[in-house]
Amino acid sequence: MEKIQTRFGIIEYENSNLLHFPAGMIGLPNLRNFIVIPPKKEGPLFWIQNVDDPDFAFILTDPSNFFLDYKIVPDDSEKNSLQIEDDKDCYTLSIVTVPPDQNITVNLAAPILYSPQTNRAIQIILEGNRYQTRTPLPSA
Amino acid sequence: MLVLSRKAGEGFLIGDDITITIIEAKGGTIRIGIDAPKDKKIFRQEVYDRIRQENVEASRWNPVDIDSLGDTIKTRKR
Repeated sequence: MEKIQTRFGIIEYENSNLLHFPAGMIGLPNLRNFIVIPPKKEGPLFWIQNVDDPDFAFILTDPSNFFLDYKIVPDDSEKNSLQIEDDKDCYTLSIVTVPPDQNITVNLAAPILYSPQTNRAIQIILEGNRYQTRTPLPSA
Repeated sequence: MLVLSRKAGEGFLIGDDITITIIEAKGGTIRIGIDAPKDKKIFRQEVYDRIRQENVEASRWNPVDIDSLGDTIKTRKR
């Protein structure tokens, strides 16, 4: 069991459970290994804590909870990075931003592709203007 | 930084698997062709910088947020 000090307190983790980003996050290539923290209460949000730099933690959500037609299919090089062969082994996650007014947004322009089989993830950029980095949640 | 002068139609290589060709230079815009292996991701600088900045800002949330937010968010999936 390993331990790190974070702004949430001391977190214990097993190396074998880490979520691994082989290329890091976009623009932050040394953020490679994350502890996945499930929500305390049932809900769509969870978070990941980086172990390489404890200052970095991200709130994530499954965007299909909110955007029913948002589905990213990995290309061959992305499947290669995830070490999977089948598209079905790939799930899409979005990074959540919490502004001071608490009206959260999700980054649909730079999603995370993730494979539970291999515990690997990559962040990709969707080029073009179709998706925004700060997409408000649809009003219910 | 290495600085090279090239004319339209000329190019250069980075290593032996990335080829950059100057297609055209017109009215302050330079069109560039890039041949690179598919696993080499190519980003426009400003797009890459913006995503980096979004990532940094997204990491600055407050630990108290997550539980309180979870209560107020409605999902569309059953």
